[in-house]
Amino acid sequence: MLDRPTDFPAMTPFPAVSLSVHGLALSRGGLRLVEAISFALKPGEALLLTGANGTGKTTLMRALAGLVRPDTGQIACEEPVEDAIAWLGHSDGLKPGESLRAALRFWADIHGTSRKTILPLMRRMDIEPLIDRPAGQLSRGQQRRAGLVRMALANRPLWLLDEPAGPLDGAGRERLAQLVAWHRARGGIVLAATHQALDWPDVQHLALKAAS
Amino acid sequence: MMGGLLAIFGREARLAWAGGGGPAGPAAFFLAAITLAPLAIGPDPDLLSSAGPGLMGFAALLSVLQSAERLYGDDFVDGTLDLYALLPVGLPLLSLAKTLGQGIATLWPLPFIALLGGLMYGVPLASSLMLAAALAAAIPALVLLAGFAGALAAGVRRSGLLIALIATPLMVPVLIFAAGAGRAGFEGDERALANLGLTAAISLGTIALAPFGIAGAIRSRLG
Repeated sequence: MLDRPTDFPAMTPFPAVSLSVHGLALSRGGLRLVEAISFALKPGEALLLTGANGTGKTTLMRALAGLVRPDTGQIACEEPVEDAIAWLGHSDGLKPGESLRAALRFWADIHGTSRKTILPLMRRMDIEPLIDRPAGQLSRGQQRRAGLVRMALANRPLWLLDEPAGPLDGAGRERLAQLVAWHRARGGIVLAATHQALDWPDVQHLALKAAS
Repeated sequence: MMGGLLAIFGREARLAWAGGGGPAGPAAFFLAAITLAPLAIGPDPDLLSSAGPGLMGFAALLSVLQSAERLYGDDFVDGTLDLYALLPVGLPLLSLAKTLGQGIATLWPLPFIALLGGLMYGVPLASSLMLAAALAAAIPALVLLAGFAGALAAGVRRSGLLIALIATPLMVPVLIFAAGAGRAGFEGDERALANLGLTAAISLGTIALAPFGIAGAIRSRLG
C-alpha cells in the first residue's frame, strides 16, 4: 500500500517553463535519424517518445539537453535549456563505490536543494533502507530508483527521461508514475523515451519513425 | 559557484581516494620504478646520484600516465559526464576542479617518495628537497595534461595507449624543467631555482589553459 502523493517533500518552486521544438533534424555518425520533428509542451504537460530501436529517441533527448548539436531546427525555452533540464539517461550516473547517502548529498548540494528532501524522496521511491549501501551493490532496479531520486533533487522544471521504466518492477513503475504526477502538479514538464506502455494520465505521444 | 566547485573537488578527491586503491597505485608504480632502475644501471654510486633526479622525474611522469585512464573514462561510461555537462558551473571550471581533486588525491605521495628516493640514490639532501619541490610543482601540469588526453580518449577501448600517445609529447617541457631542477641542484648550479620557477610557471599556464581543452574534448566525446 503506497502513501498518498502529498508525502512528497516541499521544495523551492522552480520557474515555469515551456518547451517548443520546431523542424528539428538530427544525425548520428553522419546518418540522418530524425527529420522535421515539432512539438510544444506547456507547464504540467508530459510527452512520451516511442519508436523502434535506432529511430533516434536518445539522440533527440541528447539534443534537447544540448549535448548533441541539431542539423537544423530550433529548440526554444524561456530559460537556457541546459539550466532547466534534469537528466536521467541510460546510465544512472552513480558511482559503484559511493554510498547513496554521499552521492545524493553531493547532487542536492550542487543544485542548491535542501538535504532534508533526500530522505522523503528516497521513501517515495522505496529505497530509504539502502541509503548507506554503495551503488555497486544495488540491483539495476534499485539503481534506477536512486537515479530518479537524484534527478528529482536537481529541482529543475524540465525532466528528460531515457527509458525510465526499463529496469523497474511493477511497484517501481507505479512509484515512477506518482513521481511524474507530482512533478507535473508542480508545473514541471516530463519528456520520456520509452518502449514500455506507461499509463500516465493525460499524456501526449510522439512516435519516431526511421528517416528515409 | 565557488561552493559548487569545492563540492566537485571534494567529491572527486573522495572517490579517487576510496576507489581503486587511491594513492596506492601511482605510489607503488613510482616506488617500483625507482627501486628497479639501479638494478639495471649498476651499483656505481657516482652514476646513480647523477642519474637519480632525471630518473625520478621520468618515473613520476609514467606513474601519472598509469592512472590517467580512470580520469574521465569511468565518468563517461557511468553517465556522470552527461550530468556534469548540465551543471551550471560550466565545463572548464568543473574539469579543473575535478582533475585537480582526483590528481591531488592520488598523486600526493610522489614528492615524498622522490625525496626518499633521492637520498637512496645518494643525492644530497638539499638537492633531493629541490627535486621533491619541483615534482610537487609539476603535478598540476602533469595531471591536467593527462586529464586532457583522458578526456579525448574517454569511452575509447584501450584508451591507455591513446592517452600515452597524446599526453607524452605534451609533458616533455615540464619533465625537462622538473628533472632539471633536481639535476642542477645536484651539480651545485644556481639555475636550480630557475628550473623550479619554470616548472611552476608551466603548471600555472596549464591550469589556465588546459580546462578549456578538456571541456572541448568532453563536449566532442558526448556529442
